[in-house]
Amino acid sequence: MELVVALGLIVFKVALLIAILLLLPLPLTWLERKIAGHIQQRMGPMRVGWHGLLQPVADGVKLLTKEDHIPAEADRFLFKLAPILALAPPFVVFVAVPFGESVSVLGTEITLYVSNMNVALLFVFAVIGIEVYGVIFGGWAANSKYAVLGSLRTCAQMISYEIPMGFAVIGVVMLAQSMSLLEIVRAQANVWNIVYQPVGFFVFFVAGLAQAQRIPFDLAEAEGDLGAGFHTEYSGIRFAFFMVSEYAIMLLTSVLAVILFFGGWNGVLVPLPPILWFLLKVAFFVYVFIWFRFTFPRYRYDQLMAIGWKVLLPLSMANIIITGVAFL
Amino acid sequence: MSRALDRIGTWIGWAFFADLANGLALTFGYMFSKSVTMQYPDKEKWLPYSRYRGHHFLKRDEEGEIKCVACELCARICPCYCIEVIPYEDEKGNRRPAKFEIDMARCLFCGLCEDACPADAIALGQQYEFSSFSSHDLVIGRDDLLSKPGKAMTGGGVVAARLNTEQDVLVETSEPQGYNWWRNIRRT
Repeated sequence: MELVVALGLIVFKVALLIAILLLLPLPLTWLERKIAGHIQQRMGPMRVGWHGLLQPVADGVKLLTKEDHIPAEADRFLFKLAPILALAPPFVVFVAVPFGESVSVLGTEITLYVSNMNVALLFVFAVIGIEVYGVIFGGWAANSKYAVLGSLRTCAQMISYEIPMGFAVIGVVMLAQSMSLLEIVRAQANVWNIVYQPVGFFVFFVAGLAQAQRIPFDLAEAEGDLGAGFHTEYSGIRFAFFMVSEYAIMLLTSVLAVILFFGGWNGVLVPLPPILWFLLKVAFFVYVFIWFRFTFPRYRYDQLMAIGWKVLLPLSMANIIITGVAFL
Repeated sequence: MSRALDRIGTWIGWAFFADLANGLALTFGYMFSKSVTMQYPDKEKWLPYSRYRGHHFLKRDEEGEIKCVACELCARICPCYCIEVIPYEDEKGNRRPAKFEIDMARCLFCGLCEDACPADAIALGQQYEFSSFSSHDLVIGRDDLLSKPGKAMTGGGVVAARLNTEQDVLVETSEPQGYNWWRNIRRT
């Protein structure tokens, strides 16, 4: 009986997580378009629903009913595999991400995470690395020069940004003496990591922007020079998969930034429920992502590489060394 | 000395991304400024200025006679030959247009006909909503031109409007004067 309840709870949590992650792009696209509009002194979507609230639903229906086109010369198997490969890893990653300690419902303690891995951070970085295969396969399989260029850029971008990103979080791991995200948050109960690790946060955040392929590092789908980059040839639901994956990664980067550097669900000054604190912080980072997108121009490709290898990598290394020395 | 200090300041600013922060501050400010979107046609509508060159109209004199003397100067000066005038002699012996047709599909709204007219009979008015599904409907005859609205008296504002699609597409307004749209333009 105990086992059944525990299993049912896990299945319920996973289902809830998947549902939330699949539905969250709807309000996020609306928010993104609204913020974009108001930054440019426009109104954004206004016609579908109250202030365009139902616009993402209309867009979703449109994408579902659109023709699912596959180019004649495309590698059909890879072309169909790529969106799934891009979509699955961001969902898998959230298994290891905690959203809070626990809540008690009907006398039973329910933990706000699916699993508390002791190597959660490693798991996150390992799995999220798979996402890039979806992008590369998608660009390659489409048999279009824009798509291939886009995926080549992604490939190089990922290599040069995963490394500083990985190094940047080592400082956090050293402070918490653990790779478990839960332990990392518990270690920040008094002082958030941002106080000790400002450089680490900077490197992590810039690399996270590149990871999520958002402006100013959205070279994989640079509209201006590549059409739409790796998903130029995608339409309909497969395109929607890529978009959902992009939003999930944006969310993941925000969640990771909050957990690793901003104390997770630990509040400060104002006593709010921990889960609310967590959501507020994540919402702030999501807003920052959108805000950045409509403020900055896109970096040139060689500039992107130069920042990755010549600035972020030495900075993250120095961060590790200084953290280590301070620890001794 | 101050130049050296300036340079140091620039470098410090560069190191802490002062330029990026400036950009972010600007867009953040814009996010909370009023949006300039005019929600035409179902919420708001633009009232043209009196100088606006819209749909042509023909004028009448004090006795209600059509002012046009059918001299065909407007047809002559028109750069796209969209005016066709055929004169006749009315009961009083005046030269008047029997036919006065403007092909609105070809007109480019330059206003030269207005300038050329010796009798001050034709002018470009304030109407700008006359799109049509057929270019034949855009050939406007003399009697229609006489009934078109004239120059705007006030104008240069945005008024509340309502879109009426029961019979024809019609943007209805009730206020004669609206708010000045330019007040929302943010100038930094």
